[in-house]
Amino acid sequence: MTVFKAFLKVLLKYKGTIILYSMILIIFGAINMSTSDNNVNFEDSKPDVLIVNSDKGNKISDNLVKYISDNSNINNDLKGENEINDALFYRNINYVIYIPKGYGNDIMSGKNPEIDIKSTGDYQASLAEMILKRYIQMQNVYKMNESSEDEFIKLINNNLSKDVNIEVTSKLDTTKLFNASTYFSFASYSIMAVIIFIVCLVLSSFKEKNVNKRTIVSSMNYKKYNNGLLLASFGYSFILWVFFIILGIIMLGDIMFKSRGLVYMLNSFVFTFCCLTIALFISTLVTNKNAVNGIVNVVSLGSSFLCGAFVPAAWLPNSVLTFAHILPTYWYINSNDLLKTMEVIDFTSLQPIFINMLVVLGFSILFIILNNIVSKYKHNAI
Amino acid sequence: MKNVIEVKNLTKEYKKLKAVDDLSFEVKEGEILGLLGPNGSGKSTTINCILSLLNFQNGSIKIFGKVMKPDSYDLKRQIGVVFQEVAVFEELTVYDNVDYFCGLYISDKKTREKYVNEALELVGLLDYKKFYPKQLSGGLLRRLNIACGTSHKPKLIFLDEPTVAVDPQSRNNILEGIKKLRDNGASIVYTTHYMEEVEILCDRIIILDKGKILASGTASDLKELSDIDEKITVEIEKIDEAILNQISNLNNIDDYTFEMNILTVKYKKGKNNLGGLINFLKKNNVTYNKIFSERPTLNDVFLSLTGKGLRD
Repeated sequence: MTVFKAFLKVLLKYKGTIILYSMILIIFGAINMSTSDNNVNFEDSKPDVLIVNSDKGNKISDNLVKYISDNSNINNDLKGENEINDALFYRNINYVIYIPKGYGNDIMSGKNPEIDIKSTGDYQASLAEMILKRYIQMQNVYKMNESSEDEFIKLINNNLSKDVNIEVTSKLDTTKLFNASTYFSFASYSIMAVIIFIVCLVLSSFKEKNVNKRTIVSSMNYKKYNNGLLLASFGYSFILWVFFIILGIIMLGDIMFKSRGLVYMLNSFVFTFCCLTIALFISTLVTNKNAVNGIVNVVSLGSSFLCGAFVPAAWLPNSVLTFAHILPTYWYINSNDLLKTMEVIDFTSLQPIFINMLVVLGFSILFIILNNIVSKYKHNAI
Repeated sequence: MKNVIEVKNLTKEYKKLKAVDDLSFEVKEGEILGLLGPNGSGKSTTINCILSLLNFQNGSIKIFGKVMKPDSYDLKRQIGVVFQEVAVFEELTVYDNVDYFCGLYISDKKTREKYVNEALELVGLLDYKKFYPKQLSGGLLRRLNIACGTSHKPKLIFLDEPTVAVDPQSRNNILEGIKKLRDNGASIVYTTHYMEEVEILCDRIIILDKGKILASGTASDLKELSDIDEKITVEIEKIDEAILNQISNLNNIDDYTFEMNILTVKYKKGKNNLGGLINFLKKNNVTYNKIFSERPTLNDVFLSLTGKGLRD
């Protein structure tokens, strides 16, 4: 208890740092949640299309034009290829369809006439291409079987006019999920920084060369003494985790009491444990208090930037994300991102998250092993 | 008196350097043993070997009749150590620091509270209980260092140069405190390179150089080993070179120097050396301000044994 109590007394001297990092989490977490685009409404959109029909008067060609016109904004004011190319360049139109002469007759005679197109290549052009492909696929289904043009067109139109009723069955509150994911991902920085900073500073006081010497010559069993320090470090990390969870409950509300919230908590607990093992390893490596601040900034800020704690991982370059795989924060944030989009929470759907947690635990074991090696080397060197 | 420490043929080598060379000595119960020697003479290495902080190549060490090992926690309970460097927590108050280090030995809260207060009283820090180490002067810090190392009332105390860089007031306080610890029944091993301190404090002295014992005994015993018997110091404003040269013709003269208006004359043996020198100065009309005679110091002993001073 002597060691545990002294640990807490030394720790209390750094309470200002803990408060500072908690404030950072609250302020920046709140800003992130309030400013991010979390709109999930859909808006009907039609591409701007130009049709150059060289087979005017043919029923089949005219039916194609009609279908495209019904499903897009038709712009037929352009004359000449130069004007068409300019319009494409300036995105005044997205897609140009060239219907060749004799197209309708070729279809009826079983041929596969080609339709030339020009495209801006953007998503509006893709939409126009989808509309055109849909018509042609339907046309190909019936062209060999029907002898009458009218019957043929009727069948195509009947099939194309069928609506599919789509009911959105998802009951996910995407705003809350987004906020939860943002909070826990940003918390990775606060958790890592405050654990490494405080544990390293406190332990550096205990591991200061002369204090350590005085401890070794005392009647306190050195193993018991080390266990006391470990227990105190774990206790502090646990209390800190509980504190961040309570902050999460205050900021995120009822989602934290649902199964998804519990997974967020479990994921953050595993990550907190990993941060503790990193802190213990760094404290064994470095006992200089002045160096701790720099190391904390490099480790916590570096991994937060590289792994998507401050900006969504999707915005980061692939090379950065590939490198981030060697950092535990990446796997922790990846789990948060998966939880954000997960429709159903069950054992099967959670498997990728459990695997991520195992990876984070793997990192923890690695740091424990490294810590033991360095610690043994340093103890022998006294 | 029983031996509390028995060191036999202790040898500690760092690669090719012998830091401690076949050292044997013992510390009696209730005595203060001074380990005197210049920096690098092997004092701290010897203590570190005794405390099992360092492995050694040869020899044996027994404390209270038992072999000392790193896990001899029952022995460690009876030992207090005050290292040369101040070893305290910057983040804890004076009281909390002493309480923590006392807590490494004593778990009972009430006993500890009593011991901590007694230790603070012994070193004169009761008024600084709530101060942080940063707020203390160098001397007060050293006193705190002693309180941290001795608060659990050990029977054997190692003090490794506890007065380095300390102001005279704190030094006197520390030395008084050490005497009190001895009076309370503790045996003390005291290392220093301040010969005045061992003369005042120690019952027995071991002079070390290059890891070997040069001499041991009481301060009086050791002074017998000196080449000189008396040293007379005279403060003179002016003296002619010719008169100065005649000093060597006086009886029993071993050596003399004149530097910065101070004439130092060393005598081998003999009686009435001071009277003889005064008569000589009067006869030659040399005026002087102060004149005093003293017995040889331990530095003179060291000089005689090694040809160099303790602080060279």
